[in-house]
Amino acid sequence: MISFELTQEQKLAQSMVQELAAAQLRPAARGADDREAIPSSILDQLWATGIVQSQAEAGYSPSLNALLLEELAVADAAFAIAAAAPIGFLGAITAQGSPAQKKNLLPLFAGDQYRCGGVAIMEPDFAFDVSSIRTAAIKMRDGYRLSGMKGLVPLARHCSHFIVIAQCDDAADAFIVERSASGVSVGEHKPTIGLRALEMATVSFKDVELDASARLGERAGCDVQRIVNSARTALSAIMTGTSRAVMEFVMPYTKERVVHGDALAKKQTIAFRLADMRIETDAMRWMTWKAASILEQGGDATRQAQLAYTYCGEQAMWIADEGVQMLGGHGYLRDNPVEMWYRDTRTVSVMEGAVGV
Amino acid sequence: MIDFQLTQADEKILGAAHEQAIIGRRYARYYDKHEDELEPAEFPEARDLPNPITLAEEAIGGSSGARILHSLVMLEIYWGGIALHRSKWGLGNTVLKTVATPEQIEKWKNHTIAIAITEPGAGSDPANIRTTATFDRETGEWILNGEKIFISQAQSADAAMVLSRFIAQDGSRGMTTFLVEKDTPGFTVGPQLKKLGIRSHDTCNLLFENCRIPEFNHIKGDFKSTMSVFNDSRPMVGAMALGVARAALDFTREKLAERGIEISYRGGMRSRSAVIDRFIRLEAIYEAALLTVLRSKWLEQQDVPPKVEASIAKAAGGKAARKITQGCIDLLGPEALSEEHPLDRCFRDGRIFDIYEGAGEIQRLIIARSILNYTGRDLR
Repeated sequence: MISFELTQEQKLAQSMVQELAAAQLRPAARGADDREAIPSSILDQLWATGIVQSQAEAGYSPSLNALLLEELAVADAAFAIAAAAPIGFLGAITAQGSPAQKKNLLPLFAGDQYRCGGVAIMEPDFAFDVSSIRTAAIKMRDGYRLSGMKGLVPLARHCSHFIVIAQCDDAADAFIVERSASGVSVGEHKPTIGLRALEMATVSFKDVELDASARLGERAGCDVQRIVNSARTALSAIMTGTSRAVMEFVMPYTKERVVHGDALAKKQTIAFRLADMRIETDAMRWMTWKAASILEQGGDATRQAQLAYTYCGEQAMWIADEGVQMLGGHGYLRDNPVEMWYRDTRTVSVMEGAVGV
Repeated sequence: MIDFQLTQADEKILGAAHEQAIIGRRYARYYDKHEDELEPAEFPEARDLPNPITLAEEAIGGSSGARILHSLVMLEIYWGGIALHRSKWGLGNTVLKTVATPEQIEKWKNHTIAIAITEPGAGSDPANIRTTATFDRETGEWILNGEKIFISQAQSADAAMVLSRFIAQDGSRGMTTFLVEKDTPGFTVGPQLKKLGIRSHDTCNLLFENCRIPEFNHIKGDFKSTMSVFNDSRPMVGAMALGVARAALDFTREKLAERGIEISYRGGMRSRSAVIDRFIRLEAIYEAALLTVLRSKWLEQQDVPPKVEASIAKAAGGKAARKITQGCIDLLGPEALSEEHPLDRCFRDGRIFDIYEGAGEIQRLIIARSILNYTGRDLR
């Protein structure tokens, strides 16, 4: 039944995260970007919301995750991904892990301290595409041997585990790999255009020996597309949040800024673009919700997640771009957040994987 | 709970609407070619078929709601291009329903009433209309003079609800509405207008020359109440636009598949051809706009009158129909231009939705004023 109704629980969680985002997260965003690291106090606050841990519970909810990731991204996209990365990791285990994998891994993420697991899909190759993975797992007598490189893994050095997407027998498959396993090495932080606080790094896998039990879902295997769909939905939610941040920032600015005797916002060329920002952020949110609700019901969200991700990528970039433009020279200065949102959006909208709902 | 799945009850009604749309499509080219011919009030095939709009309006248990369904039924009808059942409801009926006295409603409740607002010098700025009614003290009638253009249902309606300036007995002035019946002396309906598309859409200009209107026909809607009829209709126009857009997308997908080009949603943009990438982007525009329509209709069902959401749905739908019908022709190439196929009609029909019932720019004015907390004077 078509409905946009939020449950009481969703509304409550949403307003709690909204509050945290405005009071604690937004003020810390610029500093984290400058210092290229997320303060542990911020990671702890994200953890304290319980968003990440709830993936381990039976009733885990992609719709709720999408709602909350949007709110976190209104404060900062990097912080949102710091939550969405372990959400993606745990969500994949909960949805597709074997009973033993759930039993062994989920409790590790039930503690009081921030803990990260990464979904490693992207590879450090030009023209990389999620459908042509080069990292390979070769079937051995009693396990697999994994080789390859994964790029832009958020908070890689904080991750205790990775879910590595690799080609195995001509199909994409997923493997749970401990960071401490022999042959795994986390590279130096590789600074990027945006999301600089995420300390994204390349992770190399050199002849890593894996037990048969490392395969996600073990004998049953898993549906890698579902992991991709979940990631696309999470990225869509994050792009919606950043777009909202831009819109909510430029509205008061353009109302105050006087040009040729009138507020900027009173000129149709600006007002219409603000209206378009509102139209598009609404549309982005509903696209994200629809993909998330299909994931929540266990359906095949491939089409919807693709449409949401593609649409959000295009619109978010347009909104961030216009946000910089509306502030003119001030938008180009690092005194204002729009240049950071511009960089962050360029980054999020080409990422695939790394996160989940 | 957030959910976007249709229920069985929804599917049943929309399935019926779609079957009728398939029949309607058979006539679409004929009426595109015969724009002076009015479609029958009911096509022969429709005699034993229920009007899907009635099914939607009466939908209760187990459905996603009457308003949501109504918009989705309209989408299906526009997918086909021709409604098998002509609508008996005009926007003038909405004015009658909201502001008329019980006696007036009783008299005209079974009439189809067109709405007449636009004039040669007043389209997007209806406050600028010049049509004027002067009170005639001697007869107690109003004398109406003016011209209205682009009037939908002009020929098929029984009457027009005319937005007009007035000069009252005491000399006071303002704006009001009059119900002018078809046979009133001095009231002329012009010929069908020659349009780019929606050629089956009954559209004429109206002329009022010393047209005498009894006081009983004074409906006393003001400018605001007259314009508010568009609150309901805006998301509906978005849905109609998306019907045309989906017809173009469906045809394009089918023809690409015949050439062995299947749309896959699995990989990323660097794994697919430019044609597939473009198709996915057009389809995403469709989905995005459709969800804004559903959002607006859902809010109506919650008894939260949508404000910006209605304009968002209209603006998004109107833009989607433009982009999608233009883009699909790019994807299929020169053969798509032929009148043997539906895309040329979709391209022409699809251009209206961002123009009529408040152009996209007007929707953006409404949205911008609302989000910026500006009055009409602040932001013109």
